[in-house]
This record gives sequence, structure tokens and C-alpha cells, in this order.
Amino acid sequence: MSARIAVLVFPGTNSEDETVRLMRDCGGDAELVHWSQAETLAQYDAFVLSGGFAYEDRIRAGAVAAHDRMMDFVLTAANAGKLVFGICNGAQILLEAGLVPGTGPVGRPTAAFTKNARAPHFVCRHVYLKLAIEPARCAITAALPTGALVPAWAAHAEGRLAATDDHLNEIVAGNHLAFVYADANGVVDEAAVPNGSAMGCAGLVNRAGNVLAIMPHPERDAWNFNHLDRREGDDVLAPSGGALLFQSFVQALS
Amino acid sequence: MERLGRQPSTVELHAFDAQWSEHCSYKSSRRHLKRLPTNGAGVVLGPGEDAGVLHLGVHNGERFAVVVAHESHNHPSQVVPFEGAATGIGGIVRDVLCMGAEVIAVADPLRFGMVDGTQTHQAYVARSVVDGIGAYGNAIGVPNIAGDVYFDHGFDENCLVNVVALGIVKETDVIHSYVPKDAEGWQIVLVGKATDPSGFGGASFSSLTLDARDAELNKGAVQVPDPFLKNVLMRASYRVFMLLRELKITAAFKDLGAGGIMGCSAEMTSHGGYGAEIDLDGVNVAVEGMAPEVIAVGETQERLLWVVPPEIAPEVLRIYNEVFTLPDVAYNARATAIGRVTTERRYVVRHRGSVVMDVESEFLTGAIHDELPYTEVIHHAGAVEELPAVDVETLFPKVLAHHDVCSREPLYRRYDAVVRGMTVVVRGRADAGVLAPIAGSRLGVALAVAGNPRYGRIDPGYAAEHAVVEAMRRVVAVGARPIGLTNCLNFGNPRKPEQYGEFVAAVDGLARAATALDLPIVSGNVSLYNESPEGLAVPASAIVACVGAFEDVAEVVTPGLKAPGSALLWVGSRELVIGGSVLAELLGTESALPHISYGAERAAVAIVHDAIARGVLRSCHAIRDGGMLTALARLAFDAMQQGRRVGAEIDFGNPLCEAGGFLCEVSDDSGIDLTGALRVGKTNDTSELIVNGVRFEIARLYETWSAPLAAIYP
Repeated sequence: MSARIAVLVFPGTNSEDETVRLMRDCGGDAELVHWSQAETLAQYDAFVLSGGFAYEDRIRAGAVAAHDRMMDFVLTAANAGKLVFGICNGAQILLEAGLVPGTGPVGRPTAAFTKNARAPHFVCRHVYLKLAIEPARCAITAALPTGALVPAWAAHAEGRLAATDDHLNEIVAGNHLAFVYADANGVVDEAAVPNGSAMGCAGLVNRAGNVLAIMPHPERDAWNFNHLDRREGDDVLAPSGGALLFQSFVQALS
Repeated sequence: MERLGRQPSTVELHAFDAQWSEHCSYKSSRRHLKRLPTNGAGVVLGPGEDAGVLHLGVHNGERFAVVVAHESHNHPSQVVPFEGAATGIGGIVRDVLCMGAEVIAVADPLRFGMVDGTQTHQAYVARSVVDGIGAYGNAIGVPNIAGDVYFDHGFDENCLVNVVALGIVKETDVIHSYVPKDAEGWQIVLVGKATDPSGFGGASFSSLTLDARDAELNKGAVQVPDPFLKNVLMRASYRVFMLLRELKITAAFKDLGAGGIMGCSAEMTSHGGYGAEIDLDGVNVAVEGMAPEVIAVGETQERLLWVVPPEIAPEVLRIYNEVFTLPDVAYNARATAIGRVTTERRYVVRHRGSVVMDVESEFLTGAIHDELPYTEVIHHAGAVEELPAVDVETLFPKVLAHHDVCSREPLYRRYDAVVRGMTVVVRGRADAGVLAPIAGSRLGVALAVAGNPRYGRIDPGYAAEHAVVEAMRRVVAVGARPIGLTNCLNFGNPRKPEQYGEFVAAVDGLARAATALDLPIVSGNVSLYNESPEGLAVPASAIVACVGAFEDVAEVVTPGLKAPGSALLWVGSRELVIGGSVLAELLGTESALPHISYGAERAAVAIVHDAIARGVLRSCHAIRDGGMLTALARLAFDAMQQGRRVGAEIDFGNPLCEAGGFLCEVSDDSGIDLTGALRVGKTNDTSELIVNGVRFEIARLYETWSAPLAAIYP
């Protein structure tokens, strides 16, 4: 039997449909699980927290959702080594739950994705995620080539990594900095960072390598029809681009 | 009173006040709107319900349709811009949702006052409206794929905030907003936010002119948006749609808009030939002790009404209240049964055991008419001024930096353009936004809006025609086949014959253009009383949205010049007329608007479609604000952003004319009918545009074009 992937829906989540669709198009056995069915999460092997504004981003993005009943199951699963992947609001929730970078005590956040610096409001911009760790350091990125570039859309108002200097040092020392922002040619510089994120961080991985949190949305640039630079003759409905990361996720489950 | 045969109750007075306001009844505008063409082979549902429905195409043997709605939220946005604009998105989304559709896109044609400095009220409105639209649309997860923005002193005291929404639905699954046959005893289920005193008097408020002195007072009439609740309501409603499809049940669903619970339930039942009994004690309220008229007529946001067979009502309630836990999402939000359908054709409301309203259904919801006099607007034909060659070197950068031409990116970057993962062409990159709205299907949808207030000021009727033509051209420029239109008519005070005359002329203009181009108008909205306290109406603003279809979204014409060595053709109308143009404003001249020849328009569309079919069209841009040169610059900017080095050299008398048509980049023009097209230049492998011998660095032009709005939208 193939591994079952739960795509979690909190009140306020808004990217669940495309996340499930892409997982399926990449060969994964994915289903939506709503907050009122939290108890069914025990039956799943892997978990995706998709984008949106869970609990209206009250207090701070992800802060309330981190305490939703569904997260009890996600915490247990993460500690058992199951794959957990958070995108945008899902990433914010994983940081608020202390799962990534996971350098503090259980359930205690040590860093946050918080208000954008360059422009303190929502920004929607095409970006590239550049893999900044050895692919095998994180189970979800294991099938990516070294230094992989994954196209995605940043679409958030709170995506800037913020932490104390000590915690930022721990992130670097522990190889938690999974993805940084880059331009189309893979060049990493300030102009490529849409939100003033510390160290140009676009994604973080936990110590064990089974929990990944990324701010931009690869699932929004994930089929040929999404790309302006698709080649003539490409099947417009075929997954591509951002699907790379989802394919790697599914591969890690097989 | 005569017809009632007694003194009306307080609830009845408020009910008739709302139902008979212009906002609800279109009592004066209706007879003019009848002139609009609303039929056609592709029309699944024309005007009359909350949104129109257009056939899109066939996927896996099933017919799919696009649901389209267009509204204004002008008055509220002038008073409380963030909330006013946000509720505009909230309302238009419900209009599409209640047709049984999944909401796939929004668009926002905006008209702001001149923003002189960042601290003016106009700047506050311009910023807050955009933030309100973004906050709402982003949260519910609907991409914003089209829109336009104009700045003009004529909107200093009355901004226009129009909103358009699209939905996707199988044609067999369209849900109507009136009860079907054999609905006796069906249950009326109210869904959503707890009814509160906000928005009481909203319908009547929208039909008043604004006065700053009353602004504080009016704020109470503006509703409070809750996109968080709406996000959940939408998803729960999609689940109910699934339930109805599984059980093959035809139910009725309608957005609570003007007139609140009363307006909605009365229309749903009356239009199906029934009456209704409503018990206000069943309504979930936010505060205790609200007067019955406030509960019945108040316009609290985020509410919808179902009429369903009694046997499935419990499951509908369970989906909203238990699966999607509405009561946990917002205070006392829920689905609750509040009444039933009756055969008596009376509309009866009870409150605390006593009857507070009891009238004939038809009397309440029937059309009333109010014929208002109007002054015929003279069509400003003739006196067309043609200009000799202009000083391109100085004027081109000025045109690009003009507030109506410069980049809108600082603004729309605040909108989520890509949520749902179905976006093919994002906003701002081309003339229209494009989506692939059905998972696993090649069918595509394009959406564009138009309505130039500089044109409206010169000639309200002809401006409306230009709006239709421009919206259509924009959809064609991305390679789509235009399938239908929606519109919002934003005008002044209908009680002033000269202002009302502009409205009437615009309706005639819309009718003329839509008929000539064979494009049905399937939905729309009228916003009158857009008049300042000094009695000045806004520039005549017939704002039009055009929907386009793709059989195969792979055929989309992607943005940006593609390759050196292409021929550049100006296809279609190319009069050297500058009336209403940005150039005319910069030169300080006035003259009549460019002439429209519908035969030439249709021929131009055919040339573009033919070039696509033969695979020779590399890129295309509609010629509009800022003229052909601006269209060329936009194509060059996109190539540069995508890392392609493509420049161009053109030679043309007055390339800043906006007289219309398309600028096309073609790999081979040997097969193109050059009676309908003109060679204006060719592309090369430089980073420059060379215009009549004057050289411009594309990167410098891009800076000039990109900078201006960043001051308002940092």
C-alpha cells in the first residue's frame, strides 16, 4: 500500500486544493483533512500544511494554528520520523509549533517567519528557491540535485525569518538553512529576497531532516501552463518547475 | 398604503424603503437597460439573477461555463475605504458562489482622485482601497488577475471601486436564486455571520450623494467584512454543492445583499411563484434586543440563504455547523432554519410570536417604475484633430511616467495573483489575465476590463463603445476568443437631467458596441448618485469586463517580444486622432474621440486569430493608453524581464496616438492581409527602441515607467 499523505485544512487555509492536486499529479496518495476530522490524522504517513491564513493569522501568522488539535498528531508524527512539509502559512505554523528549526525545547519556537521588512505588507512575487544544504540532509529534498533551483511564488506579508543572533547561529551551525532565495540564474543576493529574511532564508529543516518549512509556493508554478518560459510542444498540463520538490517528497515515501 | 388597506408596520416601512430604493429596484434605470443585448448562442444565463453564465467549452464530454458578476462599492469605499473595498470583493464573490460555482478569479477596475502627495485624503483612499481588496481576496484564496486604475480630479470626492468575479461550474450544476417547482414546505436556511446592526440602511445609503458632513454618520451603514469567515463559508458551500449533486436535488441559493434577510427570502420565493413565512427568532444574532426591522432588513455581510427540501436541511446544517464548525469560526456564525416556503404568496414575518409583516409577495418584489427626464447628450462627432509628427524624444518618457500609463505593479503586487495554482498569465504582464480553471483540462479563461474616464468626459456614449471595444481587444491580444461581457455603469445624479442623460447615452453606447460585435452582456450593475457635494458628477464611467475562452490554453499569446527579426504590424484602426489620449492631455489640446468602425474591429480580430492559427504571431499588445509606443515598450519590458534581448526599430508618424488596434510581432507577415495592417518596424537584437531615429535604452524606459506609483504604494 502506498503511503498516505494528509493535506491539512485549518480554518482559513486557502491553498489546499492545488497542494493535493500537485501531490497526486506527482504520484502521491494525498487527501484533504479538515480540522473537525483531526482524529483521522493518526491514519496518515505524511503531512502537508498548505498556505493560507489559518485562524486569521491572529496574534502572529501560525501562532494560533500551532495549538490546533491537528498539531498534536503532527507533533507525534514528526517525532516518530514521519515527513512533515509546511508551505507558506504551513511553514509559519511549523515554526510557531517549534518543529523547525527545532533547536529549542519541544513545542518552543526559536525563530519566526514574521512581518516583511522591505515592504511591511503582502507581497506577491515570483522567486526561486535554491537548495542550500546537501540534498540528503532533508528527506524531502533528497531526490533534488545539489544546489537545485525551484521556481515558486512568494505570496505573504509575514515571511521574514527573525531570531536572536544565538538562534541564527544555531540555524547555520546545525545546517538548518535548507533554502535561500535566488534569481533565475541561481545568484543569491539581496535583490532576490522579497521580504528581508535573515540570511536570505526561504526554508528551514529540522535536526532530523524529516520536517521542512518553506515560505514560497512551488505549487503555484508547478504545471507547464504556469510557466511563461515553457517550450513549444510541452504538454501544458504536465507537472514541472515547482513540482520538482513535490516529486522529491513523494519519492521519499516510496 | 392604499394597497395594504392599513397603516404599514415599522418593519414593512423599512422593507419597502429598501426594496424600492434605486439600489435594489433599478426603478429608473431598468427601462434603459432593456436595450442591452443579452442573448446569444453562448449564453447559459443572462441578467436577472446574481450573476450571468457563459458557455466556456467541453471537457470530458461535459459542458462547462463561466459565471461572471460585476458590481460597484463606490460609496462605502469613499467613506471607509479599506472596509468598503473589502466588502465589495466579499459581495461579488457571494454573487458568483450562489450560482453553484467555484470562485476562480477577481478583478478590480478602480478610479481614484488625483493623489497630490502621500498625505491627502485621495492618497488615503487610493492606498486603503487596494489594501482592503488585497486583504479580502488574498485571505479567501481567489487570485486577482485583472483590473485597471485611473487617477482623475473628477474622482476626488467619489472614488469608483468596481469589482468583477468569475466562477466555474458545469452547466447542469448551475444553482438558481429562486425556488423551483413543487417547493411547498421547503425550508429557508440562513447561513453565515450573526446578524448585527451594521449595514442597516445600506441600500438606501447607496442611493444618496455623499456629503463629508455626513461621512461619520454614514459609516454605520457600511458593513463589516470578515474574509476569514468567508473562506470557510465558501468551502462549506462547495461541500453542500457536492451533496446536492450526489442526491440530484435542485435547491435555491442566494447572496444576502440589499434588503437583507427580507429582500433575499422574498425574492427567492416570490420569483418561484411562492410566498414565505419567516421567523426572526430563528435568526442567529450578534447582540440581543435588536429591533425586528434591523434583523429583517439589515445588511450584515457574509450571509447567504438556502431554500432546500426539508429532508436534506439537517445535513446542510451539519456541513456548515459541524464539519466546517462555523460557530467556532466567528461569534455565533452558523446555518439555521428561519422559515419555510408557502403557497399563499404572502410574505409573512414573525417576531416574538407576533406578526410584524404580512404583505403580498408580488407587491413587495414587483418592479416599480420611475421615469426620470434626461437631456440628450450630443455625440461629439466631427472636429477630429489630426496631429503632425510630435517630439517623441521628450514626450515618450512623459507618457510612460503618466499616472494613467505607468506601471501598476506597486499596487497589484499586494494582491495574490497565483493562489489556486491555475494562473497562466498573471496580472500586469499582458492585456488580460488568463487561467486554466479546470484541473486536468486544457480549457482556458481570459479576463480584462476597460473604461477610460478621459474618454467619458469627452463623450459618455462613445466612451462606453470604446470600453466594449478595448475590453474585447485586450482579451483577443492574449489569444482568447471573446465570449461575453459584463458591466457597471457609474454615473451621477439621475434626478439631474443632464447627468442622467450621460447614463442614458452610455447605455445606448454599450448596446451599440455589444450588438455590433455580437457579444452578449450577461450581468451588470448600476451605480448612480456618484456626485460631489458641489453637484459635480464623476466622469462618465461605463466600465466593461470581457470574458474570453480558450479551447486549448496552450494557445495563449505569452507576454513580451520573442525574437529579433520579427515584423511589427499595427493591425486595425490607426487614425492619427489624439482626442482623449494621454498625449492630448500632455499637449493641452482637446478634440473628439477616435472613430470606431466595427467592420474594421472585426477584421482586426480576425487577423490576430488567423496569425495565431498559422503559428506566426509571436507577441501582441492592444493599443490603448499611451499609444502604440507604450504597447511596444510593454512588450520590450516583458522580454527584458524574462531575460530575452530583443529591441525594435520603428518608423511611424505619430506613435503616441491611442486610436486602437493591436501591435503584433509576427515571424512572417507574408500571409497577412495588409489592407487591415501596416508594417511599422521590426525587432532586433539590441537593448534599445529606435523610434523615428530617436534611440531609447529599454532599461531606462523601464525605470521611468516603473517608478511613479511606488510613492503611493511603497
